Amino acid sequence: MAEVITKVEEKEPLFGKKERKLIMDPLTDNNPITVQVLGICSALAVTSLVYPSVVISIAVVFVCAFSSLFTSLIRERIPSQVRMIVQLVIIASLVTIVELVLKWANYPIYKQLSVYIGLIITNCIVMGRLEAYAMANKPWRSFVDGIGNGLGYGAILILVAIFRELFGKGTLFAGSPIELKFIGPTPEYMINTVAEGSWFGWYANNNLMVLPAAAMFIIAIFIWVQRSRNPELVDIS
Amino acid sequence: MYSTNYVVIFVVAMTSLVAISLTTLREVTKDQAIQNEATFNKRQILMAVSDHLGEGKDIDGMSDDEVLEVFSSQVEQLALNNDGNKLESAAIQASGYKGGKPENIDMAKEKKKPLEERIFPLYIFNSGAEKFYIMSVRGNGLWDEIWGNIALESDFNTIAGAAFDHKGETPGLGAEIKDNPAFAKRFKGTKIYNEEGEFVSVYVRKGGAKDPDHEVDGISGATVTADGVTEMLYRGLDKYQPFIEEQKTGQPVQGMLIK
Amino acid sequence: MILLDSFINIFIKAAFVENLVLAYFLGMCSYLAVSKTVKTAFGLGLAVIFVLGITMPINWLIGEYLLSENGLLGIDLTFLRLILFIAVIASMVQLVEMVVEKVSPALYNSLGIFLPLITVNCAILGGSLFMVAREYNLTESVAFGLGGGFGWFLAIIAIAAIREKIKYSAVPPALRGLGMAFLLTGLMGMAFMSLMGIDPEALTSLSN
Repeated sequence: MAEVITKVEEKEPLFGKKERKLIMDPLTDNNPITVQVLGICSALAVTSLVYPSVVISIAVVFVCAFSSLFTSLIRERIPSQVRMIVQLVIIASLVTIVELVLKWANYPIYKQLSVYIGLIITNCIVMGRLEAYAMANKPWRSFVDGIGNGLGYGAILILVAIFRELFGKGTLFAGSPIELKFIGPTPEYMINTVAEGSWFGWYANNNLMVLPAAAMFIIAIFIWVQRSRNPELVDIS
Repeated sequence: MYSTNYVVIFVVAMTSLVAISLTTLREVTKDQAIQNEATFNKRQILMAVSDHLGEGKDIDGMSDDEVLEVFSSQVEQLALNNDGNKLESAAIQASGYKGGKPENIDMAKEKKKPLEERIFPLYIFNSGAEKFYIMSVRGNGLWDEIWGNIALESDFNTIAGAAFDHKGETPGLGAEIKDNPAFAKRFKGTKIYNEEGEFVSVYVRKGGAKDPDHEVDGISGATVTADGVTEMLYRGLDKYQPFIEEQKTGQPVQGMLIK
Repeated sequence: MILLDSFINIFIKAAFVENLVLAYFLGMCSYLAVSKTVKTAFGLGLAVIFVLGITMPINWLIGEYLLSENGLLGIDLTFLRLILFIAVIASMVQLVEMVVEKVSPALYNSLGIFLPLITVNCAILGGSLFMVAREYNLTESVAFGLGGGFGWFLAIIAIAAIREKIKYSAVPPALRGLGMAFLLTGLMGMAFMSLMGIDPEALTSLSN
């Protein structure tokens, strides 16, 4: 976002080039996880399964977008002395809304995510965007920026989860209504065995993928691929 | 810089706005949330008798309403104290559960209490043809707590089904006690009393069960969790022994039920 | 001695086996950002131990006496938990900063710049939320806070030391810096998993 908006044009399209850039950038060259190194926290711990990752991603997009919107709406009225607290209260209220809604709509998934919903508050990506963008820009733009960054974050989360669940458990979307099973335990019960009649039968579950460390390795590989293709992003230090 | 008055007014206004909107949302969603939680717990209890729910019924495929329906029409409940004596509704309330029903008992809270103050729920599932007695047990795994519901057949000896859950066992290893339905299935048909009539519980043996009546195969790589299951079963089912003895001598269960 | 036993037990578990960074990814942002040199890592690590050790018991008291149904107000206010916890953390950090500045300027100089970073360190809020989810009592919360903080401290010192050395290795350009930090964290996480065999209860029984 190097360009400085010097003059506000009379009429701006609701979804113009700038807005498209705000959405697309975080998904690629300005990804919150692989490039900005924000928000790697907590939420990665849920990536051993795709379904909870999708739920958390939706929650992050929601919190990110609306906290940007609200902060931007009142940005000129926020007393500078309590700026941080005000931002935190906005984020925390939105996260509480997510928590209450999940409890109301889908209790099992709420139970599964437990503390990780609350930890969205301290997800640096949300706070980071408030400080870097929403405090200085108009509401609509901030809202779009929030959506973009939330999506960029969610995309990595879901990608990591797809790798981990597929190779670690041999399923996709386990626990959701559209669960797909490729490998599963035999009735005799042994770890790393194959369901009868599975077309994926030659593969044995890789337990490393289920461990937290796997998320780290997968992200490292993402970073490697991304930076090999785009050498501008390489760390010089 | 803003004046102190402005800051105070801003903070007060913001706090009240947030408090009002969140409280409203909470009030709107409250009833459904409480019901969801109850359904979740009831589903866990019924998991132990998932093989006896009736033709074509699958616990995972049942809707929330169906779970509640089965629970209210086919399950009777009672509560026992540490000595195996039955409890009245008032005693359950005195233990800190406002609902006063055995289904309100939170095993996690009970585990924190001193032994002599603990109370235990017992659920009787009536499949139509047979009655099953579901007992709740709770213990420690490798990382954190594990718990389960064990269903006994009406001979008060043979296990008709079991279901386990955990707070934080290692995925792929200890967590398999929940994730792998085959583990719980192994308990089916094992017996908690030996031929002499002594209480022996069921042993999760590393390297394969030797005595099919009282042992089940362990999970390779998850010895501590498996030992935790063994210990949890022994200690947990032991608490229900006085009740079982009483039932064997033909005591009627009717007077003990809490509606 | 039961009290001391469970204290040691939870401390060891929180510091080693359930390391906040390596097992739960808590506080990753500052962990990656501030781990380029051992010196700064040391300062931030100390600050985390400090703040975790202080906020956990305070949040425990709030959760128990203000928010719970059996508390002073007699109403179930647990849905306000998140807001209150984060407010406590933010204000405690501010307070600690002011007190440290007054009492020990030397300590302030080494910790001071890291304190504001800590409000948004997920490890702090995460600690409080885990405490609620696991239903710890007051002593256990203090043990969990100190142990968790110590584990975080160990992890950041370790990775900072490795990152200082790895500058001299021929790492593929695309992996330099961030990519390598992720790989290292993953490997460290696996190394810490081997501590899983430790049975804290066996340790405490030795001490008796």
